[in-house]
Amino acid sequence: MPNPILIAVMVFYLATASITAQASLKLPQTIKVDRAALTAEPPCDPKISPAWREAQVIDGVKIDASPACSPDNPAWIAAAVKGTNNVSMDTLMKTGLSPDTIIKTDDLDGDGDPDRIIIKLEVMELNGKSPDFPGIVPTFDIAPGVQPGVWVFAPKGSGMSTENFESVRANPLLRLPAPVIRVEQGDIVQLVLENTHYFPHSIHLHGVDHPFMHKEHGGGDGVPQTSEIELMPGERRVYEFQPRQAGTMFYHCHVQTHTHLSMGLAGMIVVEENRPNNWLQTLNIGGGHVRHSSVAIKEKFDQEYDMHYHAMDKELGDIIQKYNDPRLIARDMNQRYDITDSTEDYYTINGLSFPYSLRESLIIVKPDQKIKLRLLNSGGEMIAIHTHGHHATITHYDGVEHNPVAQIMRDVFDMAPAQRLDLTLETTNDGKHSYGEGDWLIHDHREKGITTNGMAEGGSMSSIVYTSYLGEDGLPKTSHFGIDLSHFFTKEYWERRVPIWQDLDETANLGSPAGQTVSMDAATKNSLLNATYGLLIGILIYFIFSKREYIKQSVMTVISRNKDGKGSQQ
Amino acid sequence: MIKIIKIAFLLTGTMVLGSVATAQQQQAKPNEHEQHQQHSEQQKEQPAAQHEHEEHHDHSGHSMSKTTGPATDHTGEHDKDHSVDDKTHEHAIDHSKHNVESTEHGDMHHHHHMDHDHMMDHEGTMIMGQNLDKLPSSCKSISEEVEITVRAGRKYAGKFPGTAFAFDQQEWRVKPCAKVTFHFINEDQIRHQFMMHGLPKYLYKYGMFHLEVTGPKTVSGTIIAPGSDDTFLVHCDISHHMEKGMKAQFIVGKGSENIPSIPGLTPYNRTDIYEAENLPRVSDKANQSAMVREITKTFAKQDTQNYLIILLGALVGLLCIPLVKMLIPRKKTEK
Repeated sequence: MPNPILIAVMVFYLATASITAQASLKLPQTIKVDRAALTAEPPCDPKISPAWREAQVIDGVKIDASPACSPDNPAWIAAAVKGTNNVSMDTLMKTGLSPDTIIKTDDLDGDGDPDRIIIKLEVMELNGKSPDFPGIVPTFDIAPGVQPGVWVFAPKGSGMSTENFESVRANPLLRLPAPVIRVEQGDIVQLVLENTHYFPHSIHLHGVDHPFMHKEHGGGDGVPQTSEIELMPGERRVYEFQPRQAGTMFYHCHVQTHTHLSMGLAGMIVVEENRPNNWLQTLNIGGGHVRHSSVAIKEKFDQEYDMHYHAMDKELGDIIQKYNDPRLIARDMNQRYDITDSTEDYYTINGLSFPYSLRESLIIVKPDQKIKLRLLNSGGEMIAIHTHGHHATITHYDGVEHNPVAQIMRDVFDMAPAQRLDLTLETTNDGKHSYGEGDWLIHDHREKGITTNGMAEGGSMSSIVYTSYLGEDGLPKTSHFGIDLSHFFTKEYWERRVPIWQDLDETANLGSPAGQTVSMDAATKNSLLNATYGLLIGILIYFIFSKREYIKQSVMTVISRNKDGKGSQQ
Repeated sequence: MIKIIKIAFLLTGTMVLGSVATAQQQQAKPNEHEQHQQHSEQQKEQPAAQHEHEEHHDHSGHSMSKTTGPATDHTGEHDKDHSVDDKTHEHAIDHSKHNVESTEHGDMHHHHHMDHDHMMDHEGTMIMGQNLDKLPSSCKSISEEVEITVRAGRKYAGKFPGTAFAFDQQEWRVKPCAKVTFHFINEDQIRHQFMMHGLPKYLYKYGMFHLEVTGPKTVSGTIIAPGSDDTFLVHCDISHHMEKGMKAQFIVGKGSENIPSIPGLTPYNRTDIYEAENLPRVSDKANQSAMVREITKTFAKQDTQNYLIILLGALVGLLCIPLVKMLIPRKKTEK
């Protein structure tokens, strides 16, 4: 008689085996992520009026056209050129700046421009933890949905930090990077730091001619280990200097520099050559295109761009999203965070990563132009900026002009941390300066430089675009080549939830496979199977135990039958 | 003009309107605050100005606004206000010549008016959503006139561990329909705000009343509380000032629900996780001889602790043997 239990076990094994065989016979379908399921953002910031792109005059300030899709607020430029003390109230109200953010007075050398400049900066936190709701505030995206915790020097503002009471989004002045500061050679500059942050900070004027002084005499080098103690929360300090040399320089916080710099407290400062009637755009908020260049730049160049490259570590920024208590943030940043074990995750140009970099930081050119590029690397590692389609000439290193005879042309520009390079880009189609018109990438050629938290194509990537390749909306006309960038403008892409090659062919050959029919992970499945085995074995043992008399009897009868049989045969 | 005078006389005590109309930005009084000592020089520089302001309190609101110039004039001559700009800037220039911290000077004589709801001077001192005379629909008359002094600064965070900025008080109570004038004294050298939310929108643009000033300086503004019990959020909206302690509530009548995460008053909705840290202490070295330290060190080691606990367990077990012996025979006898 066949044993029923044995049969049961056999059947069970066969069943599981056949299920497995079935599964490998029929691989899961490809699932294509429906575009409609994505949180699509318009490629251009809808809050920015297209009228901002046009060349215009505000309060007598000439502002160049800037055809990019999200150009700077022209009111910012007017206020920065005239000073918030001289600009009309109407214009000032469009800036969100405080009336004392930029005070320009006293034409000391009688050459038609103000020589006493007061610039007020505050320290703002973006994307920090709230004790009230499970989110961060005020939010600032470097790419769609990408919100690293950062600190930044912001021009002194007025009113709310967010767009309005209902919104958690930061107002447009609160953004990366710290604004580019422009002053004239010989100006008496008072850079006023109002520490609105909950941690101590300072300003170090890297490369800018400034005196070494005690803090009570206007501060000095910003270094708490030499001349200057930390500027505490709620305090103000005035950094006064009168720069004798022109050049592209750097300013940053020098308190716990290994974290504060990476957190975003770093900006470009440019000292322009002294010229008559030289009204400078004192702040270039957001960096990028300079729409009111200095007299000296206009003498030699058609256009000017400030390009601030920065890098941030996600684990560092996460600290301000993990805690609200400043003591815990201080502990984790100062004592537990180990920069020697850190890696950079976010790479930005002028505070943004691709694709947002296309909104603001395109270099938009025409043939046969001469363009001034000022580059700053405020990241913690060497970068290697590569210009597609162009060789540019390095004219200045760290703000000092290189011997004109020895100046070289390159297409990869290596920059040590804190280094500045001035480049002259000529769009002359000669196969060397330029290979002709196009939408030419400009990017960090360390490949991680084109990623955002490891997800490509992001990072500090931007383009040199000829106007003939620029769309109506101010973005490169990629659709002309059948290229669709819209998936980059969804937060799901950066959450790694969109297979990037799914749309390359009809069948979505490299799309995402559907899950197996049993919708559970391998570990649970395994333990469930084991539990079933255990249960079966248990039942078996119980069965044997309860029927032991019967089994014994049947075994005995079988044996005796055999014996009998044998006996009868014999 | 006559109407304005009438309203002014009817609605306010001269002091209230005086302080409001000038939007006093006088330097915080040099009483108990250390930080003001350093500004005593500046106060000496402009004693006349301060004196003038004190005098204004004794005059009617209207005559006061005449003496303080067009910028504080409530007669609606806003167009003229912009013509003052030039003078204002000259003033700023003078100071910057002599004083590094020139912009600290409170120059309350010149205001840039935007509209009735929004006043701002050349230093960014701001009064927004002020309401001097519009009665809420639920009020028949003003129940009481109150003046509340609010101080703001880093030092008030001292009594609340884990905060960075705070107001001196976290709660203010008034009767429904009270006319309340807030004197907001910022004792830091940075911007702070006194921003109230949730007020009726037909009286207050965006439902907001907002005072803002870079310290050390004072700004004053007036509102009329609604006629029903309610609780309003008051905070400073500069990035992370509220999150780091500068938060309070304004309670009308019996109030309504408390607002969360006000330091010392209401719990946070989301709290941080704290863990004990291995911080060095003076007692670590002072009270212990080298020998004791050596021994405690070995005892403190994880291994030693483990062995000790095993030993302890064994001892307990040994002690329990008699008990077990007592129990077992009993069971046997029961059987």
